[in-house]
Parts: sequence; structure tokens; C-alpha cells
Amino acid sequence: MKVIACYNIKGGVGKTAATVNLGYLAALEGARTLVWDLDPQGAASFYFRIKPKIKKGGKGLLTSKKMLRDVVKGTDYQHLDLVPADFSYRHLDLQLDDFKNPDMQIRKLLKPLKAEYDYIFLDCPPGVSLISENILNAADRIIVPTIPTTLSLRTLDQIGDFCEKTGIISSRVLAFFSMIDNRKKLHRQIVENPPANVQLLKTCIPYASDVELMGIHRQPVAVFAKNSRASQAYQALWSEIMSL
Amino acid sequence: MTIIDRMKSPQSTVFTLGQDADVELLFELLRRQYPVHEVSAAQLKRHYLDSFDWRLYRNNRVCGWDMPDGGERKQNAGVFFVQDRKTGDNVCECSIDRIPRFSRDIVHRICRRILDDLLDVRALMPVVAVAVRSRQFNILNKENKTVAVVRMESHALAGGMDKAFHTGRLIVSPVKGYRKIFMQLRRYISGQLRLPYEQIALLDEILAAIGKAPDSSVYASVCRLDDSLNTWEAARILLRHLFRVIRTNESGLRDAVDTEFLHDYRVAVRRTRSLLSQIKYIFPARRLAYFKREFYWLGQITGPVRDLDVYLLTFDAYRQALPRAMQEHITPFHVFLERHRKIEHARLCRKLESKRYQQLIKEWREMLDSENVQSCVIWPQSVAPLETINANKPIRQVAGKRITKLYKRILQEGNSITPESRDEELHELRKTCKKFRYLVEFFHDFYPENVVRDLLKTLKQLQDHLGEFQDLYVQTIQLCGFAEQMQQEELADAKTIMAMGVLVEKLNARKAVVRAEFEHCFSTFAQPDNRVAFMNTFSLQHQSRDRTV
Repeated sequence: MKVIACYNIKGGVGKTAATVNLGYLAALEGARTLVWDLDPQGAASFYFRIKPKIKKGGKGLLTSKKMLRDVVKGTDYQHLDLVPADFSYRHLDLQLDDFKNPDMQIRKLLKPLKAEYDYIFLDCPPGVSLISENILNAADRIIVPTIPTTLSLRTLDQIGDFCEKTGIISSRVLAFFSMIDNRKKLHRQIVENPPANVQLLKTCIPYASDVELMGIHRQPVAVFAKNSRASQAYQALWSEIMSL
Repeated sequence: MTIIDRMKSPQSTVFTLGQDADVELLFELLRRQYPVHEVSAAQLKRHYLDSFDWRLYRNNRVCGWDMPDGGERKQNAGVFFVQDRKTGDNVCECSIDRIPRFSRDIVHRICRRILDDLLDVRALMPVVAVAVRSRQFNILNKENKTVAVVRMESHALAGGMDKAFHTGRLIVSPVKGYRKIFMQLRRYISGQLRLPYEQIALLDEILAAIGKAPDSSVYASVCRLDDSLNTWEAARILLRHLFRVIRTNESGLRDAVDTEFLHDYRVAVRRTRSLLSQIKYIFPARRLAYFKREFYWLGQITGPVRDLDVYLLTFDAYRQALPRAMQEHITPFHVFLERHRKIEHARLCRKLESKRYQQLIKEWREMLDSENVQSCVIWPQSVAPLETINANKPIRQVAGKRITKLYKRILQEGNSITPESRDEELHELRKTCKKFRYLVEFFHDFYPENVVRDLLKTLKQLQDHLGEFQDLYVQTIQLCGFAEQMQQEELADAKTIMAMGVLVEKLNARKAVVRAEFEHCFSTFAQPDNRVAFMNTFSLQHQSRDRTV
């Protein structure tokens, strides 16, 4: 089992779109895949038409003996399951803090699913918190969608510092440019001269209306616009991640 | 694959759909009860596949290839699938435009891995073809999310089959996390629509209809024996079983379906030879000499093809053993192996057509058909009583004596091997181990299961070790010969010869390591605890004491 976390300190960079599309592509290849929507906004759950609610909320998941697998829901796609979001996840930080080894709880929760899934994707909420620390500890790969803007690049440095401070091996962190708008000079300049202090994937995800239409169709891009630019970009991104 | 097009998770429920069932009416009734969306309606031809020895079936799996029936044939329209045999739930599926023969023919990573684990080097062969009409409906919730799947299928034997067969099924599949609706749906179909639960797996029903059943005789290496049998009766049962294995593997061997046909054929020949030589004084001497010679000949003529098969099966490992820059240089060696395998295989097929082979088969069959050793029509007139003195003795006694003798010989041969011993001595020990193992496996029914299991486990470790050593010994010599032959056939340039030289060096180094480990490996097999366990179980004194008590 490989755990892939899609994370960025900054919000609105395309984390959920990347998680949903990459999860779908992994499942399409026949890999048993689970997406865990950890963001209380529940956007990934929305895309999969699944109610963002779990019994007893996040606290129940952490405290009861109930396994994570009991709240798993099948999506409309073969081999692809989802742990839905819950509004109570907004308090997850506080709840995690009550535990011994509070930064390892998500990793512990995922352990029993090792034999059941080939890939687990974590759709992370933005910010720097105990949840972020948990996610970074649980993931084999941390993919960081990054808009080629000054503020976004600043967050890459912040993630690097955060990894260093928490003792997480920064080589597991892979950034990729997301929501690129080639009409913008700044985007083009940053893509042409990318930052050297972080591992950067070659594939870039364009700013495309098809990605926004995911909210209308409530489906991954490849389902309703298989040959679109966005769909092909996600396919290329998945192939690149797989080849590492 | 976009929306669920097959069943989602395990434990689907299957209902019987009568031949006269009105699918439209069923659909209408379901629609009145639940929000239903028809996903697909298809007409296809399904080819069920399995290996010759039913590896998938024995592992509760079914695999096949679906091809849309009628209309224009599109590229990659075929779907290969692996299902759970009992529930029909899909384990994996992928698009592929022709029936795959080996797991390596499948590009799809997961399907290939699953099939690799089940099939190993065996080929898929057609089992039966059926025509399938299928309609699939998704049960939706308020969010238009699929919460259960209903599929209606009808199956009939595909063209060319004489027997009329028709079966229909309605399959309800749950979606993970929506158990309540699934249970409700099941209750509705069973209670309101009054459809009965289906008890028999689809493939089993089809196989029964065509009078075909997985034949255990093609994969069971041994058969069961009663210890009240006399030696001739027991030997006859075992030899008949082995003869059946030889005969059933013959056509696959000739057609070169996969390498296991020849392998199993050779193992059965070796076991036959082992019985002929180890269970003494049950056959008249002259006949015995004839059969021993002829089965030895069978071993000889099948050897070259098997050797080449082993090289071809090991080829990837050879390539990996080389430095990356040299890996491509041994590709001509693969071409050479393929070429010579074809030649040797054709040669073998000619020998299997020969009068000599036909005569052996005929005489062997006649001998095995004889009820008792005296009544055998093919015996020469005068058989001295001493020649068949063991024939009427209890098999348990004769076998036990022989097994004990071979065990002692293994200990003696193994103990005499020192670091200075010649390689051939290890080969002799290997042969003795093989004979011993065959006998223990033939007569395992007479002894406690756990003792036999433990004995075979340690024996197998020793055999694997000796086998690896022997393979390395032979390969280092043969590879040099092949390199020369390739030069003569202008198949190898300097780079290839150099790569093969590096390979021989690597094999030699590995051989030295394996040789150094022999002492440890043998001492594990021969440790006092194992010896005591063996003697307590197999020694004749112990057996007779048991009986007296």
C-alpha cells in the first residue's frame, strides 16, 4: 500500500481536484484505491456524490475501536472507495492532541487497511497544524499542487521548513505546477525558471474550465471529458508519479 | 469503464431467472420501487478459460474473455476478467483485443499480477464458450449516486455445441457502505418478485450441462492407497495413475501449449522409472529390463527440450544478473534458445510418433491392464518364482523396507561428502533424494501426516539446494558450449560472447556459495531429532511392534 497525500498550506490550489482525478486514474488501472477526504469542506465527497458525514464524526474515528474501514463508502467507480469528510474534522487538531503520539494517529488508523488497498490518497485541508503533521508522517509521497505565483512559491519554502522542523524527510515532497494560465506572464516566467529548492514534477496542470465543471458533473474530469487538456494532464501527472 | 459496469464488492446475491422471465416487467417493477438507471445492454460471447490443470477453478476463480457479439469489431472491445467462482464478483478486468495465452500477454498491471500468482508459467486454454445477453441497472439515491447494482443475464451455449442449455440470472451487488438498501433490495426481489436464490455457480452449471468436470487426475501428483493391498496391486494403481498423467500431457506437449506439459510428462516418467527400480521383484526380470530401458529412453529424448525450456524460463534472471550495460548483449542467446527449442521439439514429436514409442505404450498398457502378475498375457512363458517374489507381499512391508534403506543411503552419501568431494557426488545424493521423495509421496497414506509433512519439508530444502547446485554445474558447462555453437551459427558477436562469459563467471561464483552451504543444509536434514522421528515412523521393527501390540 502506498499513501499519497495531496497537501499545501495554501487553499484553492487544486488539491481536491488532483486527489479526485489521480485516485480515479489509479482505480482505472485496476489498483484498489481509497480516497480519504480530510477537509471539513467535503469537496472530494461532493465530487463523488457522497454525503460528507461519518457516524460519531472524527472523534469517534479516533477514540472508538471502530475501524476506518467501517465508514468506507464505494464510489460509482470500480476499485475506488472513499472515506467521506465530516464537518467535525474542523476540531480534529484538538482531538488529536489528546493522544499519546498525537502526530502518528492517522498513520495508525491507516495501518489496518494495508492489505486492502494498493493506494490511499489523502485530501488534506490547507494550513499548518497537527493534522498536517499527521498527514506528512503517514504519507509515502506528499504531492504539493502549486500555482506559479509568488505567494504560492513562498508556501513551498514554508513546507520545506515545516518538514525540517518536524523531522520529515523532504525528499518525499513532490511539487507540481497547478492551475497554470499561459496567458499570464508571471506564470510563464515561474514555470520556465522553477525554484531549485524543491523536487518538482515535470507535468503541469493547466487552468481549465473542465476542472471547474467537475462540480457540475460531480465526476472526475476523465469521465465526462476524457480527451480534454485537463484530463490528459492528470493522466501524465499520474504516469510521472508512478514512474518515480 | 466509467460508471460501475460490473459488480462492485464481494457477496453479490444471485437469483434464478427462469427462461420465460419477462425482463421488461422486472425492470418496470424495480423502477416503481427504486430510482433506477439503465447503464448498459449488451450481447456478447464469453470464452471461459483456465489452465490445463484447472489452477483458477481450484483457487475458486473463474476467468474469461468477453467479446461483443455482432456489429463491427472495435479495437480493444474485448474484456478479460477474473471473477470469484461462487459469487461471480469481479476481482479484476481489463480491455484486451484477443484471448490472452499467458499472464505475460496482459499489459494491465493488476490483472497480470493476479493471473501471474495463479497461473505461473501455465497457459490459458479454452474451457467453454457461451452467448450472454446482459442488462445492467444501477439503483440510485437522491444524489444520483449508485447504491446498488442489478444485472440480468441469460446464457446459452455458443455455436457449435450440440446440447441445448439456457440459464438466466439476476445478480444484485452491494456498494460498500450502502448495506441497508442492498438488504432491502434482496428482500424485495425474493419476497415480492418471488425469484429463488441460485445455489450453483454459473460455470459449474455450464460445465455440468456439457458433461465436463475439472479432472483431478491431471494435477494430482499421487493417488490414495489402501495399506491392505499387496505390492503388485499397489504398484499397478500407482503406475496406472502415472500412465494416465503421461498420456494426458502428451497432446499439450506436442502442441507446445506451455512448458508444464513436458515437465509433468517427464516427472511422471521419472516416477515410473523410480517405482520400477525401487519396488523390486514384482516384475519378471526380462520385462522389467525392457520397460526400464524404454522409460529411460523417454527421459533421454525429452531432456533437450526441457533443458532449453529451463534456459528460456531463467532468461530474465540471466539478464538481470548482468551489469546493466551488458544486459542487451545476450539477446542473441534468447534467439538461439528459441531456435533450438523449435528444432528439438520437432525432433521429440517425431520420436513420439515412432514405432518404438507406440510399442512401448501398447505393451505398458497391456501390462497395467493385467489383474495379477501371473495372468499377464505379455509375460514370457517361463518366469522363475523368485523374479516376482514380492508381488504378493503386503505393500506396506515392501515400501517401508525400501524407504528405510533409501533414507540410510541418503545419510551415508551425505555424510561422506566433504568440501573436497567431487561435484558428481552431490549429484548422486540428489538422485537418491529424488527416489526417496517419490517413494514417501507414493506411500504417504501409510504414515502419520504430520511426520510425512515435516520430513518432506526438510527434504525439499535439501533437494532445492542440491538442485540449484546441479543446475549451476550443468549450466556453467552448457553455456560455454552454447557460446561456441552460437559463434558457428553466426549468432553471436564479441559483445554477446563477453556477456555470456560474465554470466558463466557469475554462475560459477554462485555455485561456490551454494557448495559452501551444503554442509549446513545437510546437517539440518540429518539432525538427530529428524532421524529419530523418521525411524519411529518408518522403520520396519516399529511397524511390526505396532501390529503385535
